[in-house]
Amino acid sequence: MIWLRYLDRVLRGEATGAAALRNGDIEQPAGGLTVLGAILGAIYGLCMGCYTLFQGRHASLLQAFATVIKVPALVFLTLAVTFPSLYVFNALVGSRLSLLSVLRLLVISLTVMLTVLASLGPIIAFFSASTSSYPFMLLLNIAIFAVSGSLGLRSMLTALHRLTPAPAASPLPAAKLAEPVAHAAGPLEPQVGRQVSREVRTVFRVWVVVFGLVGAQMAWVLRPFLGSPDRAFSWFRPRESSFFEAVFYALHHLWR
Amino acid sequence: MKSLLLCADGIIHGDVRQDQSEPLWRSSLQRLGIVILFGGCYGATMGAFGGVGGERWLQVLYAALKAPFLLLVTFALSLPSSFIFNALYGLRADYAQVFRTLLSGQAGLTVLLASLAPLTLLWNISTGGHQAAVLFNALMFGIATVGGQVLLRRSYRALLARDARHALMLRLWGVVYMFVGIQMAWLLRPFVGDPDKPVAFFRADAWGNAYVALFQLLAHVFTR
Repeated sequence: MIWLRYLDRVLRGEATGAAALRNGDIEQPAGGLTVLGAILGAIYGLCMGCYTLFQGRHASLLQAFATVIKVPALVFLTLAVTFPSLYVFNALVGSRLSLLSVLRLLVISLTVMLTVLASLGPIIAFFSASTSSYPFMLLLNIAIFAVSGSLGLRSMLTALHRLTPAPAASPLPAAKLAEPVAHAAGPLEPQVGRQVSREVRTVFRVWVVVFGLVGAQMAWVLRPFLGSPDRAFSWFRPRESSFFEAVFYALHHLWR
Repeated sequence: MKSLLLCADGIIHGDVRQDQSEPLWRSSLQRLGIVILFGGCYGATMGAFGGVGGERWLQVLYAALKAPFLLLVTFALSLPSSFIFNALYGLRADYAQVFRTLLSGQAGLTVLLASLAPLTLLWNISTGGHQAAVLFNALMFGIATVGGQVLLRRSYRALLARDARHALMLRLWGVVYMFVGIQMAWLLRPFVGDPDKPVAFFRADAWGNAYVALFQLLAHVFTR
């Protein structure tokens, strides 16, 4: 129950709000959120697995089970791969966040992502049950992952902007995700402060792109998630092709 | 029954104050009742296209069940993401009112549909083509949807005055709801039973994806 309260704090933006960040650190413990995030990911995995369940092919139960495990695995493996670079980048731009705080921040933003995923789960389950077209389901799932991933990362960017030693952590509500932080700069260094902030933003934007690419590649390594109707079940596929080639192929085949 | 009709009247007049004085569960139940009753009325009219004699009354019953089912299940499927998006954008505190407003929009849509039912009845009596009847019903649904949007916007005004971000949420709701609703309507065919085909709750060949069908149709048109 207390974990749910944590989740609620995260969604309300209190965990990364101005009040919580006043000490320049994140105090929200991440252990419970990790478990909760894994459960939310598994829920989405189950909704995704409805595709293979309703196709009723050989080993469809096994494929659905694999998907339930793979969705949280995808998210947390991506976290493991990208975490060191975020910490180093973050230190380079002059933040004094501790290792634990950066980890907590990432877990919080990934929890946001997994919550959005799980909330879109019923829609995916419905479409999975009624659709036989493999390219359509593939593209729909990718779109949903993209939407939830970008929302999660936006929540992280906002928190990072608040935490970097830019002029002031202005008391903006967490809600203003997209707005750049309007800072009340000190009278002596208004322009300098702004310049630093812009560089910082660029660094983090680059990092977000890296995160996206790593996520896509990780999804490719862990495939199959949906299980193509033309191929037998296997836990992993051999090395072949690439994520972007597959998306292009699916787009092309949607028209057939 | 009388309170249900009064409530329906309040909804189409955009009477928000009366609504907010009631507890959430009660006003939600009333709206559910309105969707089932008024949606069922329109569904029955729609299903009566092939006549009501013999086995045909079953088609009337099926359509009466399907119309509210279509709206309510689409609503239920779109709700979780709507809640999470509102929370993420910091509008969590307003969500009880957002929920009331959205559900009222659903109820308003069915009241509008039911008010168009006499037109459909006249159409059913006067014309014979099944395709034309399907198109006519699609037109009625279109009109009701536009009207529902008007109602929704009107009752959203108070929320918008409080926070401009509600506009984005309303648009997002519309996109998700339409995306799910179109597929749901496609799956639940036939609504207007073809008089030449046997009565059926589901059509065996209806199981599929509306968007894929649309893509294929487009591809077929353009690559001929």
